[in-house]
Amino acid sequence: MIEEKNFVNITVNGIKYQENVSPNLTLLKFLREDLGLTGTKEGCGNGQCGACTVIMDGKAVNSCLVLAVQANGSHVETIEGIGTPDKLHPLQKAFIKEGAVQCGFCTPGMIMSAKVLLDKKNNPEEEEIREALSGNLCRCTGYVKIVQAVKRAADYYKKKKKNSSL
Amino acid sequence: MQKKYRIVGTSEPRIESIAKVTGMAKYTTDIFMPGMVYGKILRSPYAHARVTGIDVSEAKKVPGVLGILTFKDIPNVLYNCSGTPPSGLVIKDERILTNKPKYVGDKVAAVVAQSEKTCDEALKKIKVDYELLPSIFKIEEALAKGAPLVHSSLFKTNICSSFRVEEGNVEQGLKKSDYIFEETSRTQGVQTIAMETTGCVCHYTYDNRIIVWGTTQNPHHDRRILADLTGLSENRIRVVKPVMGGTFGVRQQLHHQPIGIFLSKLVRRPVKMIYDREEEMYASVIRHPSLIKVRVGVSREGKILAFHIKVYVNTGGYATQGPILLPSMSKKMQYKVPHYLFEGFCVYTNAPVAGSMRGFGNTQLNFARETIINEICEKMGWDPIDFRLKNHLQVGDKIPSLNDEVQSCKIEECAQGANNIKNILEKERCSQDTQIFNNPAIKRAWGISFGNHGSGISGRDQAAAVVLVNDDGTVKLLVGSPDIGQGSDTILAQIVAEELGLETTQMVTTVSADTEYTPYDNGTFSSRQAYVGGNAVLKAAQDCKNTIMEQLSLLYGVEAKKVYFVDGKYVVNTPRGEECLTFAEVIHKASFGVGGRVFIGRADYKPSTSPMPFAVCIAEVEVNLDSGEIKVPNVIMAIDSGTIINPCIVEGQVQGGVSMGVGYALYETMRMDPKFKRPLESDLLSYKVQFAVDSPRIHVCLVDSYEPTGPYGAKSVGELTTVPVAAAIVHGIYKATGYWVRELPVISNLKF
Repeated sequence: MIEEKNFVNITVNGIKYQENVSPNLTLLKFLREDLGLTGTKEGCGNGQCGACTVIMDGKAVNSCLVLAVQANGSHVETIEGIGTPDKLHPLQKAFIKEGAVQCGFCTPGMIMSAKVLLDKKNNPEEEEIREALSGNLCRCTGYVKIVQAVKRAADYYKKKKKNSSL
Repeated sequence: MQKKYRIVGTSEPRIESIAKVTGMAKYTTDIFMPGMVYGKILRSPYAHARVTGIDVSEAKKVPGVLGILTFKDIPNVLYNCSGTPPSGLVIKDERILTNKPKYVGDKVAAVVAQSEKTCDEALKKIKVDYELLPSIFKIEEALAKGAPLVHSSLFKTNICSSFRVEEGNVEQGLKKSDYIFEETSRTQGVQTIAMETTGCVCHYTYDNRIIVWGTTQNPHHDRRILADLTGLSENRIRVVKPVMGGTFGVRQQLHHQPIGIFLSKLVRRPVKMIYDREEEMYASVIRHPSLIKVRVGVSREGKILAFHIKVYVNTGGYATQGPILLPSMSKKMQYKVPHYLFEGFCVYTNAPVAGSMRGFGNTQLNFARETIINEICEKMGWDPIDFRLKNHLQVGDKIPSLNDEVQSCKIEECAQGANNIKNILEKERCSQDTQIFNNPAIKRAWGISFGNHGSGISGRDQAAAVVLVNDDGTVKLLVGSPDIGQGSDTILAQIVAEELGLETTQMVTTVSADTEYTPYDNGTFSSRQAYVGGNAVLKAAQDCKNTIMEQLSLLYGVEAKKVYFVDGKYVVNTPRGEECLTFAEVIHKASFGVGGRVFIGRADYKPSTSPMPFAVCIAEVEVNLDSGEIKVPNVIMAIDSGTIINPCIVEGQVQGGVSMGVGYALYETMRMDPKFKRPLESDLLSYKVQFAVDSPRIHVCLVDSYEPTGPYGAKSVGELTTVPVAAAIVHGIYKATGYWVRELPVISNLKF
């Protein structure tokens, strides 16, 4: 049986991709296997752990629950797109500084969820941070240092905003 | 506090941080290589059965299928998956693929194919005829007269192992006691829920070598067992640990590497096999469910005179680590008990297989022991902290049932530290939410427990390390115990940087672990990296430093005693005056040219003891008596882990350990469906794990302490932090409701 393929047009981290994909290919597999962006992780494949969180058109989504064809025409941001070792994103810096990374498997998804929050609001309350991260499971940290890291990153955001308005 | 060291004791960021926050870190699941194909396992849907027929002909016809294996195609040998040093206790009772599955998920056949999807299609087309056999899941069922035997060819009973140790005479001790207390408690099986699921990529090459990249805690034990199973010598087998997404014990056992290797042997290509979450839930090892009976005798003055612990652990379908767990449990008595008896039994059932998990028997034991101590104190009107401190081991005391003496113990400081935090929290509370105080249905209370653990396997542990100095004065450290996410690569690098005089830890690259390059090591378990591994690394760095100092004395033509190491600098007392050199300057000067040397440090280390770290846990519990809702708003954990090499990493260990302990106490459980005889929990919806909104506020106190036998005074931390949590929560629930929970998790057994 020849599998039917669908043509999709997806922008990932600012780069346009045009690919033929199977109708049942998830966005997660598209990112990891077709594009080689393995920073996005699979922890459960059922939308229950958040390890595969990416930002699609400004919203945090579980990429294991989105089909690549559903992402047609969308802008997707992954962990690889928000910072590099030479130019880390404030959240990446804060996660290192606060020791919020242990095994690191939840980290990319956690950072992407936090980014959606901070992009909207740079002075969140602790409860708002916890709420925003509550699709993301972490088994190593008890969340203490992750919450601290998001608070620290929020301060970076505020400073940046202040500097840019000066 | 005066700073004693330059680098030890500082919160250096993890050396692999940048790779992890940018998504560049490569885990097993991120491995893709030319020629790579995929493998999947057909697992038994029945808890106990016999395969009477298996037909793979239709499955073989699926396009893209490269090969199929059943038990008929694989060496029919028994082995044990445990990653522990060779021991007479280990029972060989499992097969790579079986025709007599003993739990839901037991491995019956395996497929190698072009894609994971093709594997799934082929698995569906393998026809297996099963004859169902009677299955048992609970300890009591397994012990009952006439119970079906799980391993009838090996044992005439379902008890596969027992262990007994007595010091003094417990019956006499009880006779001498003024009061005797007795209780039975039960604990459940739980999953580790490491975020990365179990996985491996296995390559059986054309020149008969094997390379395994995979999730593992002990590459050298894996190599030994794989050599046994394949008939290849150890020098032809390479086990590599990529970055690991947690484990918490679950990968101290071989999982499916043997299957991966035999699948790869069929096609001589790399075979990638990653568990999906459902497979992980029922087919990877869980924490042993337990049944624990405790009898305690105390004097009128509040002294413990006798302690009798009788433990049954449910190992499920295979023994794995069970027989080793029992003696390990017996060594965790942290009170001065003149008459001590530990009896342990490891019991086969058809429940999910149990193995290593954070705490290794101590979580279960601590719940039983600390709960009965709380009951004694509540009944007698004794203060639970004073009672414990009065009976606690102190420096110089012999540990019950062992010949080891306690060499460091700051338990009083832990109790004080925890209590101080509690007082602060209560003060803050008074000025805040009166709303809850106005609701008479909501009761709040604090519960307490003490905990301890070991630092490595006592008496039988060993580790080794190699320090290689690069031209530019940076260093490569080779160790055989993997960093599994806990941060050992960083703290071991800190030890090297401190000892050799490097400016920062970032100048050290830790390689852990790859059996091709890293020296033999027992692996990552038993909270042994900082203490056992740390001592080996310290000795290797010292070995390297000795060579450097020797070379400096030759180079300057001075006596050896005229070369010193002060404050991280190398000082040479020459006739022209003192010369002070940094590590990089020394290496630049001493490596090249006539008389230059290559600097290597090597050491192996065998500890003579396994020092106990200690903890005091105070948990706040909030119970709504109308709705039954239970919350744990605050958990305080004060620990004595000796010198803290990296405070940030240690705090993270405590916070994560507490979080895991709260889940264990309240709601995590692997239950068997009595009708369908399979686990009820098959995903992360049915199995409850804390998210950020559910998690308590966790408060950590690191007590200043020093273990004389530890590297720079360090002891262990990792497992300790989960151990005392459940008993503290259960104590809090009693104080709020007047009801003692005797069986974990709380949520399934609440009857007030």
